[in-house]
Amino acid sequence: MLILELDQSVALVTGGAKGLGFAIATYLAGKGSKVSVVDLDAEAIAALPPSMDGYVLDVTSRADAKTVVNEIIQRHGRIDILVNNAGVIFSEPFVNIMNPKGMMHDYERFRRSITANLDSVFIMTSSVVEKMVTLRTKGVVVSISSISACGNEGQTAYSAAKAGVNAMTRTWSKELGRMGIRCNAVAPGFIDTPSTRSALNESIIKHIQSNTPLRRLGHAEEVAQAVASVITNDFINGVVLDVNGGLTI
Amino acid sequence: MNQRLASLLAEVFGLRQEQIVLTLTKDDVAVWDSLKQMDLVVSLEREFDLVLDIPDIVRMNSVSSIVETLALKGVDLGA
Repeated sequence: MLILELDQSVALVTGGAKGLGFAIATYLAGKGSKVSVVDLDAEAIAALPPSMDGYVLDVTSRADAKTVVNEIIQRHGRIDILVNNAGVIFSEPFVNIMNPKGMMHDYERFRRSITANLDSVFIMTSSVVEKMVTLRTKGVVVSISSISACGNEGQTAYSAAKAGVNAMTRTWSKELGRMGIRCNAVAPGFIDTPSTRSALNESIIKHIQSNTPLRRLGHAEEVAQAVASVITNDFINGVVLDVNGGLTI
Repeated sequence: MNQRLASLLAEVFGLRQEQIVLTLTKDDVAVWDSLKQMDLVVSLEREFDLVLDIPDIVRMNSVSSIVETLALKGVDLGA
């Protein structure tokens, strides 16, 4: 049986310098993984702990993604784990009847959200999987999806992007499984992070909590634990793992 | 044709062993696409305990080229 041991692994976490991504990077590093973090935020990259390598990267740039992946491969010899966490939550109603001159969802903003949340996953995964196939690395790709992939009002673009991430995950798991490369996704619900607290007012958070069977928001570390689970269990492939306290039941 | 290789190719491509001949090419086998090529690579690597690099993989577009590639890798397929 092949088991990917975290303490012997090389991991790359996108959008890993802050928030949920940083929690995932910290969890993996705590288990002994050699963690490289890419993030658009140069200040956050500069503030990473010395146990992590940091690279400033726009994950929607194919050329830059290849360059950084090559640098990590040169430094560590391979990449065993890719965590596609980078993304930008975006909300805009499909129809805004209060704005009759621009009633419909802006197309350019739709495209930008798709690029940030879907194209980025394609670009990073293709850059890393090319190396996994060439080097015969039996690696794992974990993409951070969202409860919004089921369809969330006011989030046409974000929901479409995350549903696309789920579809790519299942497709890649079928294509790449024969090479020993597994692909999974983790779909968090509402997680108690500063961004959630700033995006949602207290009454909405209470409403979410009361509709969640566990009656609370999740913790970032619980998402990181889920990511580690789908990495280390060598028979989990093509799964989108909900981490939402039962909210979607 | 080496029976070990013929058996492997027959299984990968869903053919009968007697259909595996040196003149058989990718164009003759409908299911022989890029995904099937990956199945082929993984099967050959497991069966003959070797690692095929990208040029090897690209070169293998017929049974004869597979035989040649394995020979270059030091696999003894007999007469």
